Amino acid sequence: MTKAKATYLNPTGEINNRRSSYMKRYWQLYALLSLPIIYFLIFRYGPMYGVQIAFKDFNLFQGINGSEWIGLDAFREVFAMNDFYTTLRNTFMLNLLDLIVSFPAPIILAIMLYEIRSGWFKKFSQTILYIPHFISWVIIGGIVYQLFGTQSGMINEVLTSMGFEAVPFLTEKNSWLITYLFTGVWQSAGWGTILYLAALTGVNKELFEAADVDGATRLKKIWHITLPSIKPTIITLLILNLGKMVSIGFDRPYIIGNTAVREYSDVLSTFVYRIGLEAGQYTLATVVGLFQAVVGLVFIVGSNYISKKVTGDGIL
Amino acid sequence: MTGQTRRGVMKKAAGTVLSLMLGASLLAGCGSGDKEQAAGASGEAGGSKERVTLKVEVFDRGNSPSPHTITNNWLTQYVQKEFGDKNNIDVEFVPVQRSEETTKLNVLMASASDVPDIVFVYDSSVFYRYAQQGGLTDVGELLKEHGTNLTKYLGDETLKFGQLEGKQFAIPGKRAITARYNSYIRQDWLDKLGMKAPKTTEELYETLKAFKEKDPAGLGDKNIPMGLALAPSGYETLIYSFIKPVKGDLTYSQRYEMPLHEGFKEAMQFMNKLYNEGLVSKDFSLDEEEEQLTKDFQNGNVGFMTEDVGQILYADGVMDNLRKNVPDSKVAAIDTLTNPNADNKYTKSRYGSNGMYIMIPKSSKRSVEAVKYLDWMASGNNLLTMSTGVEGENYVMEDGIPVIKEDATQEVKDRVYNGGDMAILANGKAIGDQEMNEKAWTAGFPKQNQELMRESIAVANTDTIGPIVFNRPIEAEAKYGTALNDKLKVIIVQSTMAKPDQFEAVYEREMQDFMNIGGSELKKELEAALQETN
Repeated sequence: MTKAKATYLNPTGEINNRRSSYMKRYWQLYALLSLPIIYFLIFRYGPMYGVQIAFKDFNLFQGINGSEWIGLDAFREVFAMNDFYTTLRNTFMLNLLDLIVSFPAPIILAIMLYEIRSGWFKKFSQTILYIPHFISWVIIGGIVYQLFGTQSGMINEVLTSMGFEAVPFLTEKNSWLITYLFTGVWQSAGWGTILYLAALTGVNKELFEAADVDGATRLKKIWHITLPSIKPTIITLLILNLGKMVSIGFDRPYIIGNTAVREYSDVLSTFVYRIGLEAGQYTLATVVGLFQAVVGLVFIVGSNYISKKVTGDGIL
Repeated sequence: MTGQTRRGVMKKAAGTVLSLMLGASLLAGCGSGDKEQAAGASGEAGGSKERVTLKVEVFDRGNSPSPHTITNNWLTQYVQKEFGDKNNIDVEFVPVQRSEETTKLNVLMASASDVPDIVFVYDSSVFYRYAQQGGLTDVGELLKEHGTNLTKYLGDETLKFGQLEGKQFAIPGKRAITARYNSYIRQDWLDKLGMKAPKTTEELYETLKAFKEKDPAGLGDKNIPMGLALAPSGYETLIYSFIKPVKGDLTYSQRYEMPLHEGFKEAMQFMNKLYNEGLVSKDFSLDEEEEQLTKDFQNGNVGFMTEDVGQILYADGVMDNLRKNVPDSKVAAIDTLTNPNADNKYTKSRYGSNGMYIMIPKSSKRSVEAVKYLDWMASGNNLLTMSTGVEGENYVMEDGIPVIKEDATQEVKDRVYNGGDMAILANGKAIGDQEMNEKAWTAGFPKQNQELMRESIAVANTDTIGPIVFNRPIEAEAKYGTALNDKLKVIIVQSTMAKPDQFEAVYEREMQDFMNIGGSELKKELEAALQETN
């Protein structure tokens, strides 16, 4: 109480008072916000200290400070490596193909789910479709190798017993691409429907009734009502995906890939792992990581710009 | 939001980042200060009477039988009781997954506080890298003071492997037996076809073709004339039967140096032929752990394969399973790969006489205790106990050779389930000279496999090619080793799997790549080093 009185006596007290009562009222929200902020500071900004390794001849035992500056030498070395360009190309290629194949899959799936009438069957199929998302890539890798092996895989055993040639799903690079892409669809399509289904719950049912009155077929209704209502979601997700073109997860290419298809399966993340953690060339690995981050930033900013032009709305 | 305010925000953000970086570098500054102090204190640690903790790396293969765990089992208790308690030391074991040996070690070495006091690695280039970067303790003086048993056990010749510029940066383990690979053939398949065991590479090829065409076991699609995996025991054996060693029966030691030899291309050409004619496992390129090969062999689908000596002969192992699955199967160890570039001898690689590089990181405060531990291991009966167990319970001595008691209870057998990984000073049972060691090794196998084991060792010891030891590190090995090793696998897989008419192009392309990413530098350095030794 005395404190409140003191504020009152202060000539500028009014503002202070307003601010403190604002904080008093909303401090919980700020407290909640502080958690993600701390997370970002520690795990996203903190590690940036290590970025300087890219410009140093990093010595494990001298630490970052003890290592000598080498300017851009490491960048020159990386840009002279053939593997770097191969992995860069593969990263773009796999991401682009993924976008073409894996991006439409959840949309189609979501529309199909949306069209299901029976409530329990819809719930049931949704659950079944979500499950692959929760299986780790290591296990998926095991399953894929058991299924698609050339001589001992189940699929090929069926094929050869029917008199067909065995297909080298895992060891011929073009067949491997298909295996890689469809494994991705299998794993992520179900989970990807969630956002679209959420968007679809907001669709006004009266639109469908009106369309029924006008005698629209089911396909017509999907085309003219369902799809337009999830259009903003589709575009937002497309932009987010475009922004991530240069970054690629480690698990999937590393686990599904193998030496025979290295030409396609080696991507930036596996490259960084190989030269950094396996070969212990931390400087070179940091250079690649930094390069990836910079290009990634360009892509995010670029796709945001495009989005603003196209939809009038950005994500930044 | 206008451009200007946004710029303001950016500036602020940049300021925050900068101040954070400053803060972090200050913190790091403190950290390195501590390290120096720690290093200063390491010298006196030996004299103190306080109870200290010694941390020792141990390989974890995920095979601990209950109730043992990798960090608490009969052997760790034995070490604690016999060594730790008597010297006022708590011995703590730090598990490292076998398959992530180097990766995990790189991470451990980077953290000055978590790194064990005793670490080890097989790869010499990793050892040299650590030594050159100043991360290892020079144990020369410590060995003189606390390691008399150790020095005696290892001998000067072995110790030399751990020296760099006159300093002893590693304590190399000893390898009991240098026999490495040999070949197995299904004798019952040969008998069915009325064929004799092949004696040359050409005859082997004809035999494999017969295996495929005549399918003696009636396996159809499952028939694999020659089992192959993307593992050294498979491709290295094939390649060594083509390459010309650079110096008598010695040649460059690292696996990724095989492409620098005359004859390597012929080896690739041969593998390409085998693959395209359907004579080897179709998915060998996926099988780096030999899982598929093992499965195929014990199911009786494989006619011929090359393998690490003894690998398939362990109790309840591949061979025993094969006998169960195919009761009338018969396997023989044979020598058949003749080298056209080395007087048609049965050339194959052998191990160097050293085992792994045991190292004490510079940041360790317990270097004295670490050397004492290794010295203890080398003294008395300790090494034998750690690898084989207790005399009278796990084994009995016959003619100076420890013979495993097969009637011991499972509980007693489980005591030393990771004996090979705990007794780091020796690979295999090092009890005397090579012949004794081989006998001891054979005695460790189940009765029904001992005859085949003896044959295997005899084959593996014929016409071997050993590693050259240069008395200085090859810089290019430390720098490019890992990348080249990786590339080697790519060369093998791509050249083998190429269509015959594309072989030339694929091989040349991959080799060009190999030379570009460090191969040519390595070649130059190796040739210069070779000149020096002559």
